[in-house]
Amino acid sequence: MAKEMIAMILAGGQGSRLYALTQKLAKPAVPFGGKYRIIDFPLSNCVNSDIDTVGILTQYQPLVLNEYVGNGQPWDLDRLHGGVHVLPPYQQASGSDWYKGTANAIYQNISFIDRYDPKYVIILSGDQICKQDYSDFLRFHKEKGAEFSVAVMEVPWSEASRFGLMVTDENDRINAFQEKPKEPKSNLASMGIYIFNWDVLKSYLIADEADPESENDFGKNVIPALLRDGRRMYAYRFAGYWKDVGTISSLWQANMEVLDPSHSGINLFDESWKIYSRNSGNPCQKIGADADIENSMVTEGCKVNGTVKDSILFPGVVVEKGATVEAAVVMGGTVIKAGATVKHCIVAENVTVEEGATVGAMPEGGCDIANPGDVATVGSGVRIGKGATVGPKAMVSNDVKDGEEQW
Amino acid sequence: MVSSNASALGVIFANTYDNLVPELVAERTMASIPFGGRYRMIDFVLSNMANSGIDNVSVIVRKNYHSLMDHLGAGREWDLTRKRGGLNIVPPFAERSVKMYSGRVDALASILSWISAQKEKYVILSDACIAMNFDFNKLIEEHVKSGADVSMVYNRSEIPEGARNDNYTVQIKDGRVTELLSNDYRPGVQNLAMNIYIMERESLIQLIRDASVRGLVYFERDILARNLNLLNVHAYEYTGYAARISDMKSYFDENMRLLEGDNVDALFDPANPIYTKIRDDNPSRYLTGSKVKNSLLADGCVIEGTVENSVLFRGCQVKKGAVVKNCVLMQDTVVEAGSSVEYVVTDKNVHITADKKLSGTESFPVFVAKNHTV
Repeated sequence: MAKEMIAMILAGGQGSRLYALTQKLAKPAVPFGGKYRIIDFPLSNCVNSDIDTVGILTQYQPLVLNEYVGNGQPWDLDRLHGGVHVLPPYQQASGSDWYKGTANAIYQNISFIDRYDPKYVIILSGDQICKQDYSDFLRFHKEKGAEFSVAVMEVPWSEASRFGLMVTDENDRINAFQEKPKEPKSNLASMGIYIFNWDVLKSYLIADEADPESENDFGKNVIPALLRDGRRMYAYRFAGYWKDVGTISSLWQANMEVLDPSHSGINLFDESWKIYSRNSGNPCQKIGADADIENSMVTEGCKVNGTVKDSILFPGVVVEKGATVEAAVVMGGTVIKAGATVKHCIVAENVTVEEGATVGAMPEGGCDIANPGDVATVGSGVRIGKGATVGPKAMVSNDVKDGEEQW
Repeated sequence: MVSSNASALGVIFANTYDNLVPELVAERTMASIPFGGRYRMIDFVLSNMANSGIDNVSVIVRKNYHSLMDHLGAGREWDLTRKRGGLNIVPPFAERSVKMYSGRVDALASILSWISAQKEKYVILSDACIAMNFDFNKLIEEHVKSGADVSMVYNRSEIPEGARNDNYTVQIKDGRVTELLSNDYRPGVQNLAMNIYIMERESLIQLIRDASVRGLVYFERDILARNLNLLNVHAYEYTGYAARISDMKSYFDENMRLLEGDNVDALFDPANPIYTKIRDDNPSRYLTGSKVKNSLLADGCVIEGTVENSVLFRGCQVKKGAVVKNCVLMQDTVVEAGSSVEYVVTDKNVHITADKKLSGTESFPVFVAKNHTV
């Protein structure tokens, strides 16, 4: 049974700029928005766009991601034919290789894609926060009679040189591609989301693999090759919320923006485009008699008896009486004990912040979501000792002893 | 099957005691009454069974079971979607018994061929009107050790007001039930039956066949109570947390009791989780101006007003300036700006319009039925 379009999600990224948060898990598995993980966004977009066959390409610390995705049931991707498949590199008769680049990752899974005999393949990124209707993107691709389409965002001209840019004619046909140019000729930045006609993509992947000089990368090799050959390439303009949460400050920022959907443009509370996630199975959140919660998101299993302001608490977070949490992203299972202060920071899963400890600090001049500045970070499983201090610039991945300071 | 606990079959009666809470079962069964913010009554016994390795469970329903079927689906949330065993929902079989089941004997008689075809050595019978975290393995173990024909579960409890005409208590000597009283009304703490029974599958089949032939209806009154000399009925005491729904007042009180101390932890032991149907709500949002104290909230709520001493189910909204005190608000209840509700139980999808005042008392909470607008 042929599928019209299947999705391949590139989820192999280490996310090395998230340091302490990605020591034990791949970037797409990083928790986001109170009860989600980053991978929930492309997966939910797929099912909401009627794509029922998804391959997830992983290779870095895949354990958490594999378990999380499981059989795909939370996203309705447990299907008789298709569904979600996690695809790590594997050994073949001809030998085995890590995924050498984005294009090579797809190349190594040609036989997976061929099983579904799709007309189109959409290549997605597993590390972006974005709600996008891929069926609208496909409609555009078909209307243009394109062989390749790329989703693009208009960016301010002043920032254009930070991006991979698509130069187009008046019909959105691409006639040039500039990777982080000094003198941008366009302000249409590639979002790294592509639709290919599978027959075209397959032939280019095979040719690319045969070229020993190639870095086997879509942006560096495959797209320039398509351009060189004068293929029908189009740019699809996307105007919604899109964020690459590749750094601590952008991850913090995107979480804070969730609290303010009317201004930030990311609305997780949209019944018509739900983001699905695997449920934590916790009971209701318990709010104590001494709790004071404002402008925050709290989810199942949380126990709050302290002050929580402008923050996001993930499942099972405990905030004891007298503790203060402000402008913070506190991930699942973390305990913030009495009298501790947690501000302007990201605290990963299962951290214990002992009594009287301090993590992070509000920036001088107040909190500005658009310009986060320093965001303190505590890695998963860490214990911050009694009365210890973690400074606003600190990135902690080991225990901090009682009374110690880390800056 | 490998473990000994896998050798018990579960049978749950979804409609028992419907008559005690007519308001709540207008469009549902006792088993599908929402409880504790995000659960339904059947989640407790079903999760307890699943956590105890009982993975062949029949739910016997009599009427109003659409909401229950919708809730249970194929049993996936309880890990009961199985090829061998799993969840089995049994509606009345019109051709065989023209009248609806009136007692357990009738109900069991109607599924006797199914029970006969199973492989498990034991059968566990249970209602769905008590929320607790029950370890069925312990019951099986003690039952086997006791050598009794039947074991029945009780706890030390006063007889609930609402259950005065609908309860069983037991007198016990050396662990054996010597007397089984119907509709006990004595004051003080009694050995109150929890309507959980275990016996060998073969002996249940025999008991039901005999009773059915003689036109008997009630398992407790007609089978157990009459035969305490012949049947060795063992009494198993449950000492853990139990929330029993026996009328509207107890429904309200038991929701409220979850706000006290560590009762949430006692009922929702992380080692033995209670599973429920997933709705994929967002985390709850506490907007600027929200004041929430001593409350339980499920996901999907949006709070801009004041909430105190209350239990809010999934998707409730409390708008600006609204005050909710000592309330149980079921799924998707909306309290509009400036309204105040106190000692109120709202069923699903209730809409309290702006600037209304609605209050009951602690002894008589006001109930607003499903889909109503106030």
